[in-house]
Amino acid sequence: MKSYSNTYMFLYVSALVVIIAVVLSLVSLGLKPRREANVQAEKALQILKASGYAHVERAQAIAAFDSLAEEEPSRSDGEMYRIRCADGSTGHVIPLQGKGLWGAIWGYAVLSDDLTTIKGVSFAHKSETPGLGAKISEEAFERSFEGKKLYDADGHFVSVKVVPKGKGETIAEENRVDAISGATITSRGVDKMLADGFQRIKE
Amino acid sequence: MSNIFNIFVRSVFIDNMVFAYFLGMCSYLAVSKDVKTAFGLGLAVSFVLAVTVPVNYLMDKYLLQAGALSWLGERFASVDLSFLSLILFIAVIAGIVQLLEMVMERYLPALYMALGIFLPLIAVNCAILGGSLFMQEKNFPTVIHSFSYALGSGLGWLLAIVAFAAIRERLKFSNIPEPLRGNGIAYIITGLLGIGFMAFLGI
Amino acid sequence: MKKYLGPLSKDNPILVQTLGVCSALAVTAQMKPAVVMALSVTVVCAFSNLIISLLRNTIPPRIRIIVQLLVVSFFVILVDQLLQAMLYDVSKILSVFVGLIITNCIIMGRLEAFALSHKPLPSLVDGVMNGLGYGFVLVVVAFFRELLGSGTLWNHPVVPASWYAAGYMNNGLMILPPMALILVGVMIWVNNSLTS
Repeated sequence: MKSYSNTYMFLYVSALVVIIAVVLSLVSLGLKPRREANVQAEKALQILKASGYAHVERAQAIAAFDSLAEEEPSRSDGEMYRIRCADGSTGHVIPLQGKGLWGAIWGYAVLSDDLTTIKGVSFAHKSETPGLGAKISEEAFERSFEGKKLYDADGHFVSVKVVPKGKGETIAEENRVDAISGATITSRGVDKMLADGFQRIKE
Repeated sequence: MSNIFNIFVRSVFIDNMVFAYFLGMCSYLAVSKDVKTAFGLGLAVSFVLAVTVPVNYLMDKYLLQAGALSWLGERFASVDLSFLSLILFIAVIAGIVQLLEMVMERYLPALYMALGIFLPLIAVNCAILGGSLFMQEKNFPTVIHSFSYALGSGLGWLLAIVAFAAIRERLKFSNIPEPLRGNGIAYIITGLLGIGFMAFLGI
Repeated sequence: MKKYLGPLSKDNPILVQTLGVCSALAVTAQMKPAVVMALSVTVVCAFSNLIISLLRNTIPPRIRIIVQLLVVSFFVILVDQLLQAMLYDVSKILSVFVGLIITNCIIMGRLEAFALSHKPLPSLVDGVMNGLGYGFVLVVVAFFRELLGSGTLWNHPVVPASWYAAGYMNNGLMILPPMALILVGVMIWVNNSLTS
């Protein structure tokens, strides 16, 4: 068998790494505008979904968003928007960020004008399990948040808790949502993400 | 100190790579036909984990994380190279496995032959990459903690594959339909073991 | 020619070679990710096989694993970038599994077993066929898991509402990974019966 010198091997790998890095960087750079546009459209779609506009075409997403929302100075360091919801009322868009089982989860909550009631939410995740944790971005789970309140009957801030069916008896129905069965950790992640996000705007 | 031990025990039994996360299945199913080879592979996997996870931990801490490069100087504090994690982790793993292969070919030829293609496949064993990726998520305070985690994960994998090999050796004496013998029944049993193991998830 | 049909049944990567199992567990709870994964693996396997085969006489054995991984990672990231720009919805499903494709033992396995010792064109075909064999198993498992576990197919509800009202319940166990293992076991049973 031919014997390769150490220099050859080193140069071989280095050359390969350089070629790959260059080609990938060029591709990435070239595709960047389209990618960025897609990401922005995705964000617009999410916020629109949380505001009650369920079926917007991706191509129109950014235009629709621009016509309905405007940025407002936020009390925390995330960006906040005021948006005209599908039902005509004004809502406040709160960004959310958290950790799921396998990676980051995030989303937007649209709150009523007085910041006490959820009008809609929209969740996204990077790598949750399809059929389990990934269900947080499905309509059924998201719609279960509509109308839920951040404050309990005595006016205390409780956020909206995500608890397994049958375990949340002590919490008022308006302050809780059913967790996804089989996706304990992802559900807990959502619970914490909401608490953190809402806590920030409370201050 | 107890925390390090805690992490170790947890990763052997509760966060078991095979039964809780279903990682490393290919080699697990293919090399569990007899206990001796299974044990050998288990040791190899443990060794690779125990070396690559701490190395990747240090690389992540001082090179990749957001703000990791601040030891180089103030202006590097905002650099975030974490998008390179995947490829650098894999590079480290590939290097270690190549090393292991060379050592095994020279000093443990019987095991080397028995493992066949599954020795280089350790490089793409999802349990190994999974170990490094989980380590990133878990934010261990020191490299010793990450080592404890890695060793525990490896031994957990080893226990799983050896136990399974023992079961399969016994299976040779039972009356299984011809087409189901070997691989078929192996998958089904692993599935059943997995279901049983889910009981641990509540801890 | 017959030899190339091997990976579809007699030499199926998942059912016979025991490769690519991890991803078969992770992505088969629904059909859509299963199909995206199957196509991506096929593309990456085919092209990685091609490149490594072209380079096969120049690669020093001591560093071949690193070289293989570099080539595979290149194609996976390339596919991911192209999808993010062109087919964003599909890329959302895929980016999760990018790591899983790079470590997919089928790709590495075929590189070691075939591409390193065969000419480029047969290697390309081998990559495609193994990808398809893998995809076939994935789609079948995903079909059953989604249908029985969520009552949907390709995210469209299939089980009539009247059935649910009558007491039919989705089999939650199907969504969990161990069921995928059991389903593959059954497929092996069928495959072995048909091929022996």
